[in-house]
Amino acid sequence: MFDLAFNNLNEILAMDGHGVYVWSVYSIAISIIVASFLIAKNRIKGVKRKIKIKNAPS
Amino acid sequence: MLQARKNRLWKFFIILFMSAGGILLILFSLNSKLDLFYSPSEMLKADIKPGYRIKLGGMVKSGSIKRDGTKIKFIATDFVKEVPVIFDGIPPDLFKEDSGVVVLGYFLDGMFEAEEIFAKHDENYMPPELSIEAAEI
Amino acid sequence: MISAFIHKFSSPKSFVRITKTLYPFLIFIGLSMLIVGWVWGLLFAPQDAVQGNSYRIIFLHVPAVIFAELIYFFMALCALMHLVWRVKLAAYLIKSAAPIGAMITFIGLFSGSVWGIPTWGTWWQWDARITSTLILFIMYLGILTLHGSFSNLEKSDRLMSILVVIGVVNIPIIKKSVDWWSTLHQPASISVSGGSSIDPSMLYPLLISIIGLGFTLISLGILSSRSYILGREKNKKWVSEYV
Repeated sequence: MFDLAFNNLNEILAMDGHGVYVWSVYSIAISIIVASFLIAKNRIKGVKRKIKIKNAPS
Repeated sequence: MLQARKNRLWKFFIILFMSAGGILLILFSLNSKLDLFYSPSEMLKADIKPGYRIKLGGMVKSGSIKRDGTKIKFIATDFVKEVPVIFDGIPPDLFKEDSGVVVLGYFLDGMFEAEEIFAKHDENYMPPELSIEAAEI
Repeated sequence: MISAFIHKFSSPKSFVRITKTLYPFLIFIGLSMLIVGWVWGLLFAPQDAVQGNSYRIIFLHVPAVIFAELIYFFMALCALMHLVWRVKLAAYLIKSAAPIGAMITFIGLFSGSVWGIPTWGTWWQWDARITSTLILFIMYLGILTLHGSFSNLEKSDRLMSILVVIGVVNIPIIKKSVDWWSTLHQPASISVSGGSSIDPSMLYPLLISIIGLGFTLISLGILSSRSYILGREKNKKWVSEYV
């Protein structure tokens, strides 16, 4: 159960011709999820900055 | 519970049941139109105009695949009725005997001429070794 | 006492505080389980007897569509809280969860399409399962658009909650679509009652991936809700103190 299902890196990338489907799906999904985290963190920063500017004594 | 809150709870359930009821009514009236394909029995029973493009789905009968150049002939079955299918082209990898298939094409003179073939796999996932063992039992 | 607890947790202020302390733990559990599940599934699990290696998309596709449905269900519970108990936080959570739901539904549809190319021989069929999932994706977008189209925010919250309730009936339809109609999509492999038609060597990494993605999405929801709550309550005193 804990043996690698492949013999070398080329086999891992190729996956008997299915690698292009498997790897493209995972890389696109991971990019989307990572991007969502970055956007969410950026939004928090942006909102905090706006509130600070609003509250700053003028 | 507050009276106002009770009223709002009622309203909530009314919205829920109205939308569920409405959508279920639509689904019941469309019923078989939402099926992706006809089974062989359904297709033979339904009066389909010749030249009308439909989808037929069933199992590929074991031992029925015959290849002739790029042409493939096989029998689609639902274990009640059988329909011979002819296809010219490359089928998907998962197209094989005793496995599900959906074909898109025309039913003419007792023969289904397929333009496209889709393989339908089942919900079982297992390693190859186990699958061979299962086949031997 | 219970109502006091709900009252305390349903205040946006304590929600932001509590979720901020929970966040590091949840994101750690989520990402580490997701990595274990995916590395196990992609490299160590055996290949499938019928589909070969293309089945490895399952470790992404199944968790994604499970949470596509669960997030909507969560939003429907929030809609109940908001419409009946007038809990403001519940509306904020719907608004914060909807983009995440849309994102994960898109990943579910996309991964399913790509998986369909080598296995089914087609990337799209208008069968009941695929179509009802596309409707779920459109529902998420519709909820977001509706909320953005009114200047009165309280009114937007209420209309959005009503739309969420109207759409919730789609969830059981997605679930049962493969039993009610003929579809290209196969029936369920794992049932809630505990049965599974997946070999254990593939099922364990799948379950780990599901739990991992769940915690990851909860973490994302915490971030998304924090920015939205701070923005909505920017004139409140606690927000000025918080930032």
